[in-house]
Amino acid sequence: MNQIVDRSRDIGEFVPQPDDDMLVCRCEEVTKGEIRKAVHDGMWTITEIRRYLRTGMGLCQGQTCARLVKGIVARELGISPAQLEPATARSPMRPIEMKVLGKEEVSDTWQ
Amino acid sequence: MKRYEVIIVGAGPSGLSAAIEAAKRGIKTIVFDENEKPGGQLFKQIHKFFGSKKHHAKIRGFKIGEELLKEADEAGVEVVLNATVIGLYADKEVVVRRGDEVSHYKGDTVIVATGAAENMVTFPGWTLPGVIGAGAAQTMMNLHGIKPGKKILMLGSGNVGLVVSFQLLQAGCEVAALVDAAPKIGGYGVHASKVARTGVPFYLSHTITKAHGEDHVTGVTISKVDEHFSPIEGTEKYFDVDTICMAVGLSPMSQLLKMSGCQMEDNPKKGGQVPITDEYGETSVPGLFAAGDVSGIEEASSAMIEGRMAGVCVAEYLGYCTEEEKEQILAELKEDLESLRQGMFAPANRGKEITETEEGIAVSKNLLQHGFLTEKEVEKYPGVVHKVGVHPVMECTQNIPCNPCQDACPRGCITIGENITYLPIVADGSKCSGCGMCVASCSGQAIFLVDEDCGDGSATVTVPYEFFPIPEEGSKGFGLSRNGEKLCEATVVSVKSVAAYDHTNLLTMRVPKEYAMAARFFKAG
Amino acid sequence: MNRIEEHPILGEPQKGREVTFTFDGKEMKGCEGEPIAMALKANGVMIHRYTKKEHKPRGIFCAIGRCTDCVMVVNGKLNVRTCITPLEEGMVVQTQDGVTAKGA
Repeated sequence: MNQIVDRSRDIGEFVPQPDDDMLVCRCEEVTKGEIRKAVHDGMWTITEIRRYLRTGMGLCQGQTCARLVKGIVARELGISPAQLEPATARSPMRPIEMKVLGKEEVSDTWQ
Repeated sequence: MKRYEVIIVGAGPSGLSAAIEAAKRGIKTIVFDENEKPGGQLFKQIHKFFGSKKHHAKIRGFKIGEELLKEADEAGVEVVLNATVIGLYADKEVVVRRGDEVSHYKGDTVIVATGAAENMVTFPGWTLPGVIGAGAAQTMMNLHGIKPGKKILMLGSGNVGLVVSFQLLQAGCEVAALVDAAPKIGGYGVHASKVARTGVPFYLSHTITKAHGEDHVTGVTISKVDEHFSPIEGTEKYFDVDTICMAVGLSPMSQLLKMSGCQMEDNPKKGGQVPITDEYGETSVPGLFAAGDVSGIEEASSAMIEGRMAGVCVAEYLGYCTEEEKEQILAELKEDLESLRQGMFAPANRGKEITETEEGIAVSKNLLQHGFLTEKEVEKYPGVVHKVGVHPVMECTQNIPCNPCQDACPRGCITIGENITYLPIVADGSKCSGCGMCVASCSGQAIFLVDEDCGDGSATVTVPYEFFPIPEEGSKGFGLSRNGEKLCEATVVSVKSVAAYDHTNLLTMRVPKEYAMAARFFKAG
Repeated sequence: MNRIEEHPILGEPQKGREVTFTFDGKEMKGCEGEPIAMALKANGVMIHRYTKKEHKPRGIFCAIGRCTDCVMVVNGKLNVRTCITPLEEGMVVQTQDGVTAKGA
């Protein structure tokens, strides 16, 4: 982890694979092929992939696909998944309506 | 903003254990949990746990959950449910959503015990309704009394896959097959054997290549895989199932810790992203602890000990106990934890190939590949002996830290030896009364009472039986082999069920004596 | 039916009183307090929503409120995680189609 990936490294051309149409991110409906292509488009970090394709940015916030996406990107880059920094963790950790998040009431009546 | 001396995130086995240790020393303790009920995944565990008395061995998971809740209540722990911790900021500030409110809390210390999330694998059709996680299956049947499906295929042969397969059978579902891409069963052999003897086939080195159906699952195709886990053409097998269940491992749910800014690492031995902690769970942020699966995937039994460790550390950190007291308790807890981390399935042995038991006996290849021991193999193990009259036959063949059988026998017939992981042996000269306590005490359901020759050409075999309907005395059926094949005709002699057996009925069947060492399950017919 | 009447370990499931709710306008029965998804499952409903991009069916997946695949329109509110939302008398449950109720 935290290893700087050398961006000048040649990872070869995008080669289509038979399972490229496999859905990986269930919420945003992103396929394996799209993720692999994104790597060849220069998106080498999980954060870049997320912003480029919206993987893991849907309702579940990557609960299901984070590990899968990491594996696909790592394989495409020829590195171990452990070398990829996971996505930034930030609040809110679960889906929450804007009106609730925005309210942030301080209440002492919980008990 | 309200201030608490300790805020615990997650009311599962580790969170509650931590809370108990903190609260009983007089610390004002609050636990937030996003669920409607406390206990985490414990209330979905209906099997008896392994370990020793200290580890709540032979007690079913949900009962341990009830005990923990009672203990937490007595200690004065405040558990706030339906309270989702949505953020953990620097300086241990906890943001909680409850109903339509978001509030901030400041913890002098924080223990994160958020547990784990299920891993998933992809295959064509994996998004179809009817493809579910193993946890979902447990939630449906064990919490809500709903069958996940009529006919199910299980993917994953780790303990979760094996245990949930058995639970599906108990719920009255049919399990069509148990499939794993690995060449060997990942979970305990005893868990596999109790599924195999009901007739569920195991397909190791196989993977799902397609889930069929338009609107929901109507079938599944599996294929054999080569050494690179690629499906081999021409090996496809179709099953007409309505549900596919995935039990392919867990990942620590450590995002809150990452958010808090403590040092993290990606550790495959611990299941993924985990905080870097000392041996008692303190992270790089002083006063911020991690306990249970969030700090590395293990069993609920170890999670409870880790929770207690964190709770004691917090107490000392806040000045509620002396360093001396802390050290003493931690030493005891460490010993308990270490005893759980022994044996073939110890975290340190993950990924290693173990071919021999600690006693120097070859591990059964058939058990690892098909889920059952062959009649020939079983004779090699010390728990399997031949005697005149009724006696226990203990088909316990892997070193796991577990010893309830030893304590169960009122006549001291069974001994484990100095190490809790040793295979049980039948003591010389012991006289079995046939009480069956050992059969009911074995969490792996690997002990049978056998009278190999009743003198009339028949033998009796007593097997643990946790299914409905319970066959009636005198009813006829079949004796099944260790892999669930019909061997011979069998008659039910008796079905015993007493409170001490805790819902493990003891079914005694009469079979022709040549099947005394082969018949291990009863099927009405 | 999909309900377990008696379980060899857990006995008879402890459920709330019977209540009536509607699913896409059709009247159904369930137990008060159980997750909406469980009541639907007991009634044989598999499809909870259709996805926005590909219009593919989804149903229960994790059953503990994490995966968000089981979201539906409940009492007019979108994206309700039915696996963790307790059933109440008279609830109006609708299949979610993208980000609207089906047929809306």
